[in-house]
Amino acid sequence: MRREAAEIREEWLGRALSTLPADRPAAEAAISGLYHLIGLAPPRFHWVSSPVTALTTVPPGIRTRPSETADRVSAWPLPSQFSSLMRQLCLALDAQVRWGHQSMDRLIRQKVRSPLALSTEGSLRMPLLAAHDSRHRFQSTWYDTQCVSWIAHYDALRRAAGVLFTPEQNRQLDLWAAVARSGGWWWPREGACVISERPVTMRTEVCGDDGEVRLHSADSPAVRYADGWDVHAWHGTRVPSWVITDPSVQRIGREANVEVRRCAIEHIGWASYIDQAGLRLVASAPDPGNPGSELRLYDMRRETRVLLAVNGSVERDGQRRRYGLTVPGFLDDPIAAAGWTYGLSAEQYSLLLRRT
Amino acid sequence: MTVTLASLSQQTGLAVLDHLERSASIPVVHGLQAQGDLIVIPLPVIASSVKVWPDSHWKDVPGEGVELLRGAAGGNPHTLVADPGTCRWTTHVLDSDQLAIGVFETSAVAYLLHPEHGATGCPPGTYVIRRQREHEGQRARLVAD
Repeated sequence: MRREAAEIREEWLGRALSTLPADRPAAEAAISGLYHLIGLAPPRFHWVSSPVTALTTVPPGIRTRPSETADRVSAWPLPSQFSSLMRQLCLALDAQVRWGHQSMDRLIRQKVRSPLALSTEGSLRMPLLAAHDSRHRFQSTWYDTQCVSWIAHYDALRRAAGVLFTPEQNRQLDLWAAVARSGGWWWPREGACVISERPVTMRTEVCGDDGEVRLHSADSPAVRYADGWDVHAWHGTRVPSWVITDPSVQRIGREANVEVRRCAIEHIGWASYIDQAGLRLVASAPDPGNPGSELRLYDMRRETRVLLAVNGSVERDGQRRRYGLTVPGFLDDPIAAAGWTYGLSAEQYSLLLRRT
Repeated sequence: MTVTLASLSQQTGLAVLDHLERSASIPVVHGLQAQGDLIVIPLPVIASSVKVWPDSHWKDVPGEGVELLRGAAGGNPHTLVADPGTCRWTTHVLDSDQLAIGVFETSAVAYLLHPEHGATGCPPGTYVIRRQREHEGQRARLVAD
């Protein structure tokens, strides 16, 4: 059962992260089916190359209402109706989960639904957030409705846990599933639906025990759409392109965002960043518990210092990796700085006997 | 029996990287020791800042070990390993620095195992396991290597 759940999760993750061109006829047929369920005729479809194009252009022949701005998409009339259709479907499907299915339902929530929700959050949401030009949370109900996580949950219940849905419930679930696997994000209005192609590049890394992924690419955009619009990411953090393409000391010095600075420095490597930036050495001391290695404390910027330490164990190439840890600026003793990282005083940290 | 990386790896089913010395006996250290971004501290050393809840739920550490923390990007786990029946642990811990993952209490040598960092032994006693933090802007950020 666990294996089956993981297989279904991987299947849906693959669909969510797909970089294949959209299956336009399938997407249009499924969305038209959903329009029919809320009592509307099939819309005209306006395909665009990326979410940013979708949010910054208005399809020809559409008069938008003043309230239909990109940042309020979840409150547009149709997204609200579709989200409510989806919630009713979920309630009905939950009611089909009988007493004997409950432990499997829990397992599927844990092993399928929640990892997929996290993976979507860590991957597809980032370009969407970038397209909305917002680092803040925006109203995301409509995008939650389009998330594969709930679809995969009920798909797993019917395929792997033996839960029976009515033909009508299956038909609606199939429509949502078909939309999710055929194209990108979509923005429905009466008479017209804007729908985005999928990205042509999507680079992720695994970041959790249940196959959760996040965006990361050290040498190229993590997400790129066919129109050239792209997003860069370092281990799940969205960063400006220079962090990936040209992470220079000067740019790091000008960057106001501490997270972005950290990503850029990690990309250069702490030891060479300290060299290149010519950081002033405040003090150094032998690392207790790590014979032959030194702890070196440098001035970094206002109220922050960096402790350059050496790994206790060797890498495959026989070298010991050096790494930097940022510490509060009031610390001027490397031992006290190393202790601070573990919530210890200098005296306590100096008791360290072994580091591996 | 001498405990080595090879024997711990066999006991737990966890692989260790092949460039580490697998056959040497693992040192047992009477005091503070660090393994990458984790540190093991005898409870008496920091008893003033770390408390175990009085009604804590203690769990026995099984032969295959308990995963304490996993590195970033699906990285490698730090695992606490002990012979069954000799070691128990709890996460119901109050730490004024909010870095403690848990406390373990062992009546025989317990081991901390990591695929890249190797292993280290803790003699009988009670220990706090803490994570490592960094200073970022006005706040602290937990390290995950």
